[in-house]
Amino acid sequence: MFSQLLVNALIAASIYLVVAAGISLAYSVTRFFHFAHAAVIACGAYSVFVLHVWVGLPLSISALIAAPLGGAVGLALELLIYRPLRRKAAGPLVLLLASIGAYVVLQNVMSLAFGDASRSIRPTSVQEGLPFLGARITCVQLISIAVALALLIILLTAFVRTRWGKMARAVMSDPELASVSGINVDGVILWVSFVASMLAATGGILQSLDVDMTPTMGMTALLAGVVAAVVGGIGRLPGVVLGAIFLALAQHLSTWIISTQWQDAIAFAILLAFLIFRPEGFMGKKVRETTV
Amino acid sequence: MTNDWLRIDGLAKSFDGVKALAGFSCSLREGEILGLLGPNGAGKTTLFNVISGFLAPESGNVVLRGVNLTGKPPHRIATAGIARTFQDLRLIRQLSVLDNVLLSFRDQPGERLGNVFFRGKSSQDQEAANRNEATSLLEECGLAEKANDPAEDLSYGQQKLLSLVCCLAAKADLLLLDEPVAGIAPEMIEKMLGIIRDLPNQGKSVMLIEHDLDAVMQVCDRVVFMDAGVKVSEGTPEEVRNDPKVIEAYIA
Amino acid sequence: MEYLLHILILIGIYVILASSLNLIAGYAGLLSIAHAAFFGVGAYVAVLMGLHWETPFLVNLAAAVVFCGILGGVVGAPGLRIRDDYFVIATFAFQVIAFSVLNNWVSLTGGPMGLPGIPQPVIFGWTVSSHWEFLVLTGGCCAAVLWICHKIVTSPFGRMLKAIREDEVFAQAAGKNVAACKVLVFAIGAAMAAVAGVMYAHYISFIDPTSFTVMESIFIISIVIIGGAGSMWGPVLGAVVLVALPEVLRFVGLPSAVAANVRQILYGGALVAMMMWRPQGLLGEYAFRKGEAQQ
Repeated sequence: MFSQLLVNALIAASIYLVVAAGISLAYSVTRFFHFAHAAVIACGAYSVFVLHVWVGLPLSISALIAAPLGGAVGLALELLIYRPLRRKAAGPLVLLLASIGAYVVLQNVMSLAFGDASRSIRPTSVQEGLPFLGARITCVQLISIAVALALLIILLTAFVRTRWGKMARAVMSDPELASVSGINVDGVILWVSFVASMLAATGGILQSLDVDMTPTMGMTALLAGVVAAVVGGIGRLPGVVLGAIFLALAQHLSTWIISTQWQDAIAFAILLAFLIFRPEGFMGKKVRETTV
Repeated sequence: MTNDWLRIDGLAKSFDGVKALAGFSCSLREGEILGLLGPNGAGKTTLFNVISGFLAPESGNVVLRGVNLTGKPPHRIATAGIARTFQDLRLIRQLSVLDNVLLSFRDQPGERLGNVFFRGKSSQDQEAANRNEATSLLEECGLAEKANDPAEDLSYGQQKLLSLVCCLAAKADLLLLDEPVAGIAPEMIEKMLGIIRDLPNQGKSVMLIEHDLDAVMQVCDRVVFMDAGVKVSEGTPEEVRNDPKVIEAYIA
Repeated sequence: MEYLLHILILIGIYVILASSLNLIAGYAGLLSIAHAAFFGVGAYVAVLMGLHWETPFLVNLAAAVVFCGILGGVVGAPGLRIRDDYFVIATFAFQVIAFSVLNNWVSLTGGPMGLPGIPQPVIFGWTVSSHWEFLVLTGGCCAAVLWICHKIVTSPFGRMLKAIREDEVFAQAAGKNVAACKVLVFAIGAAMAAVAGVMYAHYISFIDPTSFTVMESIFIISIVIIGGAGSMWGPVLGAVVLVALPEVLRFVGLPSAVAANVRQILYGGALVAMMMWRPQGLLGEYAFRKGEAQQ
């Protein structure tokens, strides 16, 4: 029982990790909470649904196409909404509100297209699951953990090694300085939006392999991602790993004591506690004091 | 020393290990205009931020009329009789000039929510009185015809003048003025200095940060020169100007 | 006729919600996505008291208002330590927790099944039963809330709120207790949302948690922003437009299943469009731009 809980937590953590990495990345570059990520998450899942169930492509190929499709949605949002707003010197609250509006639109478009009822891309035959440390884990779940880990390693390497990664880090630490030293900040934001949205879409795909999809699925996933990102410390990828694991453990181990439907509430109680007492998270830098 | 009207004792404050104030002390008599001079980064504005409660010092005290104000929140210090202006000019730019002045009155009964509903009359009377006073303050300073314009429509010099008027409306006994005449036209400087010079006659004391030496010479009774968070020299404007330590600090 | 009255009653309820949120978000500058939580908690408090203890309507209403006021203060107080967009996320968190409690504490709230059979309100012997009577009751509450909002925003207290919204540092330097002021206004807004909740519950005579979701909070904030934050009549206009909108869609001939989605797409799109071209809303004067002037 306990090891099964741990395995469940591990699977949840891998999905949180992917989503949270995207949120953390996007926030640290654009400095506002990208609420529409929730819609991108669902976009990823529904893209797989369309490609796999309607078009009839194999699942793996559908997923490989769907993830960049999600990234493209993020790209479109950036180009159509956020960049023009930034040009008008809009503050983080204006961007957040626009992002909420975009979420509402996208979510309802998906509702219209696919209906509010849940859709499934899971294999119809029930999988037995492989024995694993006294617990059972399905193939799909193993894949989702592997994908999350692989993405994380690629992301970290890209961040440290590549020119793009270095530019992104420069923008994260000081956008003005980066701009003065010749970095194309808009360009960096654009590709970070793409990567972050691709991560969000991947999170949605992984989730839909485990449970079914609904147009509002992204909201819960986004929430978990935000919690993991804040708990880990916004903008710190290693912190996000810690945050995702911490959140998943807290949610799943608590099911020993109280029933599972309280998981959202637990996630948010953790978030509130961190926002109030340690807003910089486990590993983030201290949030600046009010500057006079 | 205990008889001093304002006593600042061994204030220390550092940012990321850099000491902005390193045991700064000085004092102020009632009705005195004290100039604070020093190179950029000497800790002058940090000193103002500590006195007005926006920063908590790591050690040291600020005592006004025997009352220790150290570590109190800014609004408490503001109601204890200290008003300040900001180097980067803070006003409520979207509100009218008159509203900015009205906001600066301390302890308004109308700002307590209960009075809005249950003792409307007395708070309305007070508001009307404040309004008259604010209008006459604006008239004295020549901002009366702009009273209903948003503060952001004023020229830079007028905005600086308005922030001084706000300090007057506060009826504070100590005014902390952070570069009141920097970057404004000569006529406006004259006007501002005239108002500042008159403050001791109304029983007010002033601490003034200013880089314009002429202005300091004209209005200050006494000058403190600070560098690297400590007092380097103190005396009349003439004395400080001729102090070799001061000359050395400026060259360095 | 009843149909028209029904729309008017709903508009009244949303005017209360939007005007109270406007105090918090439009005047004090605290963007909150938790208003539906207070709307819901207020409704549940009054209904549960009425169902279990059979206390009179006015007592239930007062209890709901006080409870939400205190809850608003408790939620608002720690929120003060958090700035701007983190504050939004924190209110969001509270909204999700509140929904979760309403939905999962089955023994108290009935969970997803909701609470049916809410009795008609009786006020000093007057039983509010017909649509007309509900319109009078809601209209009265609406007028009271608007009057209170008007008194607040035109008073020196309201001026202080605007100052805090635009520049907290200036307000503190001018001797204003910014923290106390924010908690107070958050509590008042929450208490007013409870009024709307009580009206709604008794009018529909059934409540379940789905009326008080995050999307509902987003809908209320959209009303405020599209109508115009920081103005007295902006949220009123916003409520009229956004509540009447689905009815207009119905006249156009959209099937009701589609109409719900189309309505949300329209207001979501309107929110984006407002941010792009008119961030102060139709009638407002505050554009959530706090921060730039300070930096």
